[in-house]
Amino acid sequence: MFNRRSLLAGASALGGASLLPGLAHAKGGLVATTYPGTWEDAYRSIVVPMLKKKDDIDLEMAPLFAMDQIGKAKAARGAPPFDVFVLDPGPRIVGIEGGIFEKFDGKKLSNLSKIPEGFTDEWGVHVSAQVVGIAYNPKKLPAPKGWTDLLKDPWVSRLGLTGFQTTFGTSSIIEISKQFGGSLTNVDPALVELKKVLPKIAAVGLPAAMPGLFQQGQCDVMYTNTQTVATLKGKGVDIEFVKPESGAISFFTTMHIAKGTAETANAYKYLDLVVGREVQESLMKPPYNFLPVNKEVPLAPDLPMKSLDEMKSYVIHDWAKINPLRAAWIEKFNKEMAK
Amino acid sequence: MRFRQLREWQLALPLALAFTALFLAPLLLLVGVSFYNDDKISQPGFASWLKFYGDPFNYKVIGDTLLLGVKTVCTTVLIGYPLALVYLDLSARLQKVLLFIIVMPLLLSVVVRTFAWIVVLGHEGVVNSVLMSLGVISEPLKLLQTELGLVISLTQIEMPLMLLPLISVMSRLDPNLRDASAALGASRWRTLFTVTLPLSMPGLVAGCLLVFASSTTAFISQTVIGGVRLIYLPLVIWQQSLVVYHWPLAAVASLSLVVSVLSVVAALSWVGRRSGGYIHG
Repeated sequence: MFNRRSLLAGASALGGASLLPGLAHAKGGLVATTYPGTWEDAYRSIVVPMLKKKDDIDLEMAPLFAMDQIGKAKAARGAPPFDVFVLDPGPRIVGIEGGIFEKFDGKKLSNLSKIPEGFTDEWGVHVSAQVVGIAYNPKKLPAPKGWTDLLKDPWVSRLGLTGFQTTFGTSSIIEISKQFGGSLTNVDPALVELKKVLPKIAAVGLPAAMPGLFQQGQCDVMYTNTQTVATLKGKGVDIEFVKPESGAISFFTTMHIAKGTAETANAYKYLDLVVGREVQESLMKPPYNFLPVNKEVPLAPDLPMKSLDEMKSYVIHDWAKINPLRAAWIEKFNKEMAK
Repeated sequence: MRFRQLREWQLALPLALAFTALFLAPLLLLVGVSFYNDDKISQPGFASWLKFYGDPFNYKVIGDTLLLGVKTVCTTVLIGYPLALVYLDLSARLQKVLLFIIVMPLLLSVVVRTFAWIVVLGHEGVVNSVLMSLGVISEPLKLLQTELGLVISLTQIEMPLMLLPLISVMSRLDPNLRDASAALGASRWRTLFTVTLPLSMPGLVAGCLLVFASSTTAFISQTVIGGVRLIYLPLVIWQQSLVVYHWPLAAVASLSLVVSVLSVVAALSWVGRRSGGYIHG
């Protein structure tokens, strides 16, 4: 009357699938964080179905900014609310210091040889590159040449400014500071110069609000990454990216396995898929425009670099030196910029 | 009698337990965390309190936060009270329509409402486009990232919180009292200030409480519409808890917000109780 297949299907429909692991349902699940916006859209439409198809894993995406991920993981204290983190360099170091990552073994990735040497370490794997520079509206403003142009007319009165809350904001203010005699660990010259032109600046906002403010014409020039520029351009916004004369900033986004997760095996399968050629190639295409880390993926002509090796000539910041100073910088930024 | 009291006590037990677990325990945890000196929460001490209250800038932040609440309460009362009076004089059908319009903002996510205000107040937004097309202004006004823009948007966002308690109380007022006042020769203004306003005080105070508490803690509206040059306590709490992870400092800022807002709320409640006594006394 009942064969095994129909019995399993029935059990599955009744929600009994969890009692029959590996028989009637997917080979487990995985909760991975992703950045809200382009990252979330891209991962939901490309990576989730691919992981299901390839490894039969139900991937659930948790959209959170890097800082929020660290905050939630630290608050969870040993019971991580997700299995895999996606982070920028600053929060990555905070995570390592906070002991919230499992040790990572790159040899477990079948695609290890396809990514450049040094793109994995004992804590995680590089999954995408990011390039930060200046974005402007070409219909409203001439192209700025460098960071100092942002503080001059006609750009300054259309400038959208963010503080030290994000990687790109912190990196950009450091670069502005360097133009006025500052350094990686001294942002005071930038704050002094910004204060001089503060009444002229069009907007000082939270990083998450900046694309919306740019789209609405509240500001026409800002510092941001190439991906945001490509995404806004895809929505029909008049926006172009400029590499500052002193060099664009680059950093890598990394993924890490959460300490205490029960899904370590699935996490490795997910990370292996993410750095694989198929996913990297799909993510590079519009409208997502990710900068790939897989050596086998030929870089699209509209990307800011011709090869991954070119990244070495970009400005790279040492976040181990930046992180301890950041709290004081944020306080200083609040005081200097407050109305 | 004793048995009856016990049963009432038992009925309140689930709520009391939920209140203890979901409100009191986290609040005590917050107090506990605030008495640590370092971001790793390893050294007990008063350093976080001393650091926060040793910085005059934070007094300005607390003052600005409370002032924002006061300004929002004032504008919601100035617009909301006449609207409630209009509501009272409408037919039952029109009252339903107006009530729907009043409640409508609550049906939308606060994020959507906030971003809609960017479109309205922006450099190339609706207000500037209309004023420029009418020739009233030649350059766009800076409405976003200003306190004026923030108060305008908060007034709309918080308006249902003012109107709902106000309408609820005013609808129960006996219309004969206003008629009697008029029949005894009082002008409309006198009737408003000596009859309607005192009788509607409980609703007005309740609305002020809700608007004040909600606007002083409206992190999304404050940061997206006001920008980060207008620094209020919710922004400081967010920065300390989720950007620099100094939870003891975040706890001190949070408790400062709770205490300062509760102080004003307590003062308003006292005014409400006094006005209640005056009305019924």
